[in-house]
Amino acid sequence: MNERNTVWLRPPWGEGEPKEFDPRPDVLVPLLVAGWSQCEPPEVKEDVHD
Amino acid sequence: MSTTRLQEVLICFGKQKQTDIATANSGTQMWRFGKLNAALANPKLNTENDTEEFGKGHEFPTQSFQTSWDVSGTLEKYLGAEIAAWAMAFGLGKVVKSGAAPNFTYTCTPLMPANGDAAELPYFSFVEQIRPGAGVVLDRMAVGCVIESWTITLGSGPGRANSRIAIEFAGSGKVTEPSGIVMPAATLEKLLPSASLALSIDGVDYVSNKNIVSLETGWKNNVRMDAGFYPGSGFQTAGDATSGAIRGRLEFGNRQGTLRFTARFESGSTELTKLKNQSTGTAVISLTYDANNSLEITWHKVSFATAEVGETDGIVTVAVECLPMYDNTNGIVSAVAKCGVDSICQ
Repeated sequence: MNERNTVWLRPPWGEGEPKEFDPRPDVLVPLLVAGWSQCEPPEVKEDVHD
Repeated sequence: MSTTRLQEVLICFGKQKQTDIATANSGTQMWRFGKLNAALANPKLNTENDTEEFGKGHEFPTQSFQTSWDVSGTLEKYLGAEIAAWAMAFGLGKVVKSGAAPNFTYTCTPLMPANGDAAELPYFSFVEQIRPGAGVVLDRMAVGCVIESWTITLGSGPGRANSRIAIEFAGSGKVTEPSGIVMPAATLEKLLPSASLALSIDGVDYVSNKNIVSLETGWKNNVRMDAGFYPGSGFQTAGDATSGAIRGRLEFGNRQGTLRFTARFESGSTELTKLKNQSTGTAVISLTYDANNSLEITWHKVSFATAEVGETDGIVTVAVECLPMYDNTNGIVSAVAKCGVDSICQ
């Protein structure tokens, strides 16, 4: 969960990049059944400008 | 001399999951509830002896050995939003938490090893105490417990007893005495009464037609208890081979869902027709305290396995046993539990 009230899920078998989803059951349940799992949001790298 | 009455027993258990089967929950990860049943989660020490061995000169035992430990227990409660969320998350095994206080939403589904999920269920620690401290009667913690089953029963009538949950759990055998846990304050529960039920099964709204009489739904993990003992699974006292073996894993076996209900049977009732046709549809069971505290269980594909016409209090009723089946998209069951408590099964 984050400030936008979305959730991050990682793909089955941990292969691939996490993706952000609406936390609605009709969205989440098929993903969970297919092997997606909740994970922490990926770290956002700040752009550093001189 | 004072007696100890069972009303004094206090229980708390892991709201959050353990990091692994052997690492107990800390006190801050636990929550405390009351319960309805008197039974305690007694650790059972299994022993063997040398009766069958030759070379003693007789058939009698001369030595006894501590071989293994079992822990199991049952938690019976009036159904509330908090315990419902906990039972769904730990019982089904896979959970996504969303939302924020006071509306946390836990979307729970069974683990699917075929798609990369673990076969081990989330673990929690379970503490029982009676007068902990100087005058202790009981103070112990079962470490590495999983939910074996949960059953929700809904009946007709005004009392709290018409909406209940029974949770069976089993442990690794690891027991810590004294527990070392300071019992937290009791959890404020938001009850989910049967009068709040919304129920739709295979296209029929059994609440709006005022026909539902009672309902029972449940989930059983059939945990492979014996498979928890394997070479290297460990001992009650680490490094002490005489202290009895404990389990190093608790995996679910062939899981089963159940849904049965009794409804008034009248002209136009479709249960017998559906039984003959073996039609399938979803079954959605919803219970609500308020917008922030509720439980919705969806069996994604059910048919009627049996439907028998009988009577309940002189009214003609039909008792239906459903067969929950696996839907290719949504699986067998999902539960959406809302409550104001953060970090359940996290």
